Amino acid sequence: MIEFTGVYFDGKTSRAYAVSVVFDGRTLHIRGVEGDYPALDIPLEDCTITPPLGNTMRSIQLPGGAQCQTSDTAAVSALERLTGQNRGMGFVHRLENRWKTAVGALAGLVLCVWVFVTYGIPFLAEKIAYSVPPELAEQMSRQAIEMLDRRFLKPSELDPGKTEKLQEEFQHLHSEIDPDSDYRLEFRKSPYIGPNAFALPSGLIIMTDELVDLADSNRELLAILAHETAHVKKRHGLRSIIQNSGVFLLVSALAGDITSITSTAASLPTLLARSGYSRKFETEADTVAALYMIRKGWGTGPFQAILLRITRDMADYPGESLLSSHPLTNQRVQHLRDIEASMPSGEAAE
Amino acid sequence: MTHFVCLNCGFSASEKDLDGIATCPECNVDLQPERPRRKDDSHTATITAPLGSQRCKPVFTGSAGEFFRIWIVNTFLTILTLGLYAPWAKVRERRFFYQHTVMDGQPFDYTAHPVALLRGYLIVGGGILLYYLAEAYNPLYSLMVFGIFSLVLPFLIYKSLRFFARHSVYRNIPFHFRGTLGESYKTYLLYPMLIPFTFGLIIPYWAFQRKKYFFGNIGFGTTANIFQGSAREFYKLYGLVVVLLVVIIFFSIPILMSFATMIPAPEAGIFNAGMIFFILSIYFTTLVVSTFVQQYIYAWTTNYCLGHSELGNIRFQSTLKAKQLFWIRITNILAIIFSVGLLIPWAKVRRTRYIIDNLTVIAGQGLDEFTAGVRPDESAYGDVATDFFDIDIGL
Repeated sequence: MIEFTGVYFDGKTSRAYAVSVVFDGRTLHIRGVEGDYPALDIPLEDCTITPPLGNTMRSIQLPGGAQCQTSDTAAVSALERLTGQNRGMGFVHRLENRWKTAVGALAGLVLCVWVFVTYGIPFLAEKIAYSVPPELAEQMSRQAIEMLDRRFLKPSELDPGKTEKLQEEFQHLHSEIDPDSDYRLEFRKSPYIGPNAFALPSGLIIMTDELVDLADSNRELLAILAHETAHVKKRHGLRSIIQNSGVFLLVSALAGDITSITSTAASLPTLLARSGYSRKFETEADTVAALYMIRKGWGTGPFQAILLRITRDMADYPGESLLSSHPLTNQRVQHLRDIEASMPSGEAAE
Repeated sequence: MTHFVCLNCGFSASEKDLDGIATCPECNVDLQPERPRRKDDSHTATITAPLGSQRCKPVFTGSAGEFFRIWIVNTFLTILTLGLYAPWAKVRERRFFYQHTVMDGQPFDYTAHPVALLRGYLIVGGGILLYYLAEAYNPLYSLMVFGIFSLVLPFLIYKSLRFFARHSVYRNIPFHFRGTLGESYKTYLLYPMLIPFTFGLIIPYWAFQRKKYFFGNIGFGTTANIFQGSAREFYKLYGLVVVLLVVIIFFSIPILMSFATMIPAPEAGIFNAGMIFFILSIYFTTLVVSTFVQQYIYAWTTNYCLGHSELGNIRFQSTLKAKQLFWIRITNILAIIFSVGLLIPWAKVRRTRYIIDNLTVIAGQGLDEFTAGVRPDESAYGDVATDFFDIDIGL
């Protein structure tokens, strides 16, 4: 026998009737407290119990659109158990109702996000990047270079004779590192970005005149080209675009509709994850370049030299932080030395 | 000349046109004389309640701790199920806010079924994916997708409002939305398209029309809300906002310029302390000013629209203050940033409580006399879409 008091709404008008409800094991007997209305006997199996939520009132939907509401949550929970309704939401409700499980959910959430960001998203991004048709990569790269040419890059002023040898050596380089793809090396002058080189997904590598002028030898430039070729081979460009959208989606999903107010707050974790991914790709490309240089018998010396020279000229650049896209130059140089040191001696001849 | 209106469908006609007919030609209900427009149209107008009426203040009974637990558990389940649980989470969150809004001893309820939302999520999610793919392939295509989206948006808003109203329930009687699809296209496609041709002068009128579409078409049970707002007041509001902005910009430019002198010569590179300070000060000024303007418009519009609504014999009074809302929003943003998002539930509960606390409902003859209408089922695509794109439809 379960008894409780509540309010009855017939679903036709907004009038509230105070009622007492008695459940005899089969049927709910609903009786008006002040008068004869309502007087209903309804089998429990015809009732739908609304899922529990926090400490709010419970309601029972009766056949024909009527409803019974009560703050006696214990009584309704007992009825709910008898009907077997809301098993799933009842479980969620039990999780929500205790601080212990809520804190557990928080820990689980942090763990899930960590796993997604470190393993899930990079894994998916890699799968997607390798299935992108070459035409799409070509199209994206063409648009990117058109934009860059309009805004930041000027035609190269280098003497073609000076770069002819480099082009030739680059042919050997990319056919050794990545024989299956097409590559092109072009030069641009850019006072904006200074000594630098970058690769587009289509295999187009752009090197600035400033970088060529800074280099002491073609070997130094080949080290940079090996690094860029590795970016293209491993599809780092596409992967980082996909990963960044993935993180953005994840952050938006977590922050929900709050995103619009605190877009700054939401963009910070995105930026952090983005630079984390980017540094990982840089290290990977450095490794490929270092192994190539060592295999050629040149050692990583030229690579270290050009890296140090590039950063020396950008002393004011404060990007060497958590948010930086490239690892610290010192770390990169150390990484190159470590690779060389781990090689059997003899192969690492300078 | 007295005007008569139908409280059911909003039909209105002058005494002369009616020529002795006393019932509405649409719904056959008795017509009521329209109340003369109040002289004081300002949004803080105190409403003189008719004799025998009861003032009742809705209260928000939810606590931040309770909502935190609901929010964290549901967010966790959403992530764990790769988003499939999202509609259930959404419904639980809505139900929390509805069921804790208690008026005259009775809570509101949100009755949408998560499965209806899930269908919508999948369809809308497909649309978004298409947009991103198109953008990656060629920005021109994404422009096309955006064009299609603008064409579909009024339909989604229309659907969304119907769905939202149908599933908002009080005392076991659902609300309804009787706006037409045509009106939605006029409001959400035609007027925005006219903005460039009218040099933006249509913007206040557009804002008025959006509110009118909602407040003029919403209803409870068989009772339709009557919205008596006028576009003139919206022009006054936006005029004031423009003046306010001009004054703020006038005073802040010299200050920002003095900061700009701290920027060293360009040879020092783009990244230096002076430059960063300058950019940050511009950023924060913009954030503070735009937040204030947003909250000012929100407070005024909510107060005005509720103050000029009549639901049967029920009147509303909303006394939101822009200064308070601004303070709540700014401190909420800071709290959310410094708690890495953990205070999101606290921020939502706090803002909701302030808004509900400032609402008074004046019921002519109590809240017992509303009757239910027919209950058509509504699909949920629209509901999700507007949610996803975060469109303010002024709820």
